[in-house]
Amino acid sequence: MKRIILVGKPNCGKSLLFNQLTGLRQKVANFPGVTVELKSGQFKEFELVDFPGTYSLHTLSKDEEIAVVKLKEAMQQENTAVVVCVLDATRMERSLVFGLQVQALAKAHDKTVVFVLNMIDEVRRYGFDIDTTQLADELGSPVFALSAKTLIGLSEFQKALPEIARQPEQYRNEQSAIAPENALIVARELSKNHGVNADVVLKKQNRIDSFMLNNVFGGVAFLFIMFFLFQSIFTWATPLMDAVEFAIGELAVWVTGFTGEGMTTDFLSDAIFGGIGSFLVFVPQIMVLTLIIGVLEDSGYLARAALICHKPLSYFGLSGRSFIPYLSGHACAIPAIMAARTIESPRKRLFTMMTIPLMSCSARLPVYALLIAVLIPADATLMGIFNLQGVAFFGLYLFGIVTALLVSFFLHKFTHQHDEKSDMPFILELPTYRLPHWKPLMYRVVNSGLAFIKRAGPVIFWVSVVIWVLGYFPQHGGLENSYLGKIGHFIEPIFEPLGLDWRYGVAILMSFLAREVFVGALGTLFGIEGADENISGLAENIQADGLALGAGIGLLLFYVVALQCVATVAVLRAETGKARIAAGLVVAYGLLAYIIALLAANLIN
Amino acid sequence: MTLWEIPAKNSAQIDALSQALNPAVAARLSEMGFTPGQDVYCLRRSPLQGPLVVQLGDCVYSLERDVANQIHLAHAS
Repeated sequence: MKRIILVGKPNCGKSLLFNQLTGLRQKVANFPGVTVELKSGQFKEFELVDFPGTYSLHTLSKDEEIAVVKLKEAMQQENTAVVVCVLDATRMERSLVFGLQVQALAKAHDKTVVFVLNMIDEVRRYGFDIDTTQLADELGSPVFALSAKTLIGLSEFQKALPEIARQPEQYRNEQSAIAPENALIVARELSKNHGVNADVVLKKQNRIDSFMLNNVFGGVAFLFIMFFLFQSIFTWATPLMDAVEFAIGELAVWVTGFTGEGMTTDFLSDAIFGGIGSFLVFVPQIMVLTLIIGVLEDSGYLARAALICHKPLSYFGLSGRSFIPYLSGHACAIPAIMAARTIESPRKRLFTMMTIPLMSCSARLPVYALLIAVLIPADATLMGIFNLQGVAFFGLYLFGIVTALLVSFFLHKFTHQHDEKSDMPFILELPTYRLPHWKPLMYRVVNSGLAFIKRAGPVIFWVSVVIWVLGYFPQHGGLENSYLGKIGHFIEPIFEPLGLDWRYGVAILMSFLAREVFVGALGTLFGIEGADENISGLAENIQADGLALGAGIGLLLFYVVALQCVATVAVLRAETGKARIAAGLVVAYGLLAYIIALLAANLIN
Repeated sequence: MTLWEIPAKNSAQIDALSQALNPAVAARLSEMGFTPGQDVYCLRRSPLQGPLVVQLGDCVYSLERDVANQIHLAHAS
């Protein structure tokens, strides 16, 4: 199949044009360790490939480099018929600098370039227009003015593009090709003659920015938007998560109705529906988060948020764009690690991803709630004003954030940059504020859910099967006499210095599936059925059994720091591209958590 | 004088990019329009030495101190 490739700078509306041309079906190819993503779909008899937005063909970061290498490979391939270069019609000069680079590259590989001046509706709204025939003459390539959003000029382009792709040689004017070294000057000349007055275009944007970046109002707006984001992942995702949980529960009942009593049923309901279910519950949360971040990015606010956060975070070796992943990490580390893709510097992105697991995610909440209820009486207050349980919750969140910043700070200070492409200075283009279009957003949301299932699903499946087998066999005497119980007794010496007996050891082992399993597992061991719904009953049993204050605080801090979630480890591995980093973090955070718990158990009486 | 020292709501003309700049970053800045003779207008400065915001041609950019300090200005106007 002949191929048409789509290139353009970020924020030029390329994704929307891709969606408009290809319709519903698309495939996404990822490259491990980098944010590069190639989308492909069908347009007429051609394969349309959407390349990631790059600012230039002269690359600064490793991600850009891989994107450009892939582009060059595609240029060399025989079946690539046409290169469609999407330009922002409201920003002709900067778009053309890139466009002329693409044209030169295409010429070197004997390929035809077609220029699309996207967002022509905005140009016309400002009272300008662009003479595409004249511009095409000067550029030596076909030029189409259209708006992927309002559909102006789109049907003409859809008719013309296949014609060009069938006989690309006829749409090349070798004479008027522009030498790459003159690109800057030519771009300026062309935009002076054809482009839009910059002050008119930027007026609205600068006016909004005078509020959004204002020292007082901008700060308030920032806090408001971030609060909204935080709320959305906690509150609004909850009904969807409950719905998924309910559906899986119903499915489990329906399926096990056929299998009757016995091992098969136990396996299906506990390992398959229970294990996989506790993981699928996170899919809606990930999709809601992706939607909100997508809206922030497409509207142009994400760049402003990065600008506001950059300075304070730079002290810790992080980028302004690390803020949203950190915030998201309080819901779930997995979408947060995926959200780190928006960080342009690979080094800062790596530090962000490595420290996200320290944010207190929602799976830790039941663990915190249980242990705080055990350790602190409900009516205790701090200085007579603050509820001590609430203060303890806040302290645990803060402990995670501070640890993350310190870890990042040390990584920043004590690791060396291997090559200059691993870091990037903070140079940010502030895009125009725009109303996001639902189509690219929808694809992003769906893909985020699918990517999560594909990445974390297999490992969750195996862990859940192994834990089930160890906890189920041999089939007499309950959890205490199972293999898992035996392992718990065997490793008791490890947890003894922390003031914890084998039951906590078993619960900690089972937490590798998902941390909230800790509560259910302890419930079984302390003889409370359905402990998830009856935390106070379990808390009383643990109190009666006796858990030293130091050991309890140590256990809480252990849960803040230890990287126990296998799904997170799987996503870390995929997103960093290195199993070494993921495994290293499990060991390092495990040791750190152990040492902290050891200190707490022995120093606090 | 460098771009970092430009006060808010002031324009200036770019003189040159510092030789000390990483060549890849210098090339990127030129493509973004930071070329000798180009007018640049400072839209705002952030508190605590945070990134500054400038308008240049048809774009608005935000640069941190380490970068802005490497862009020399001809004269403020």
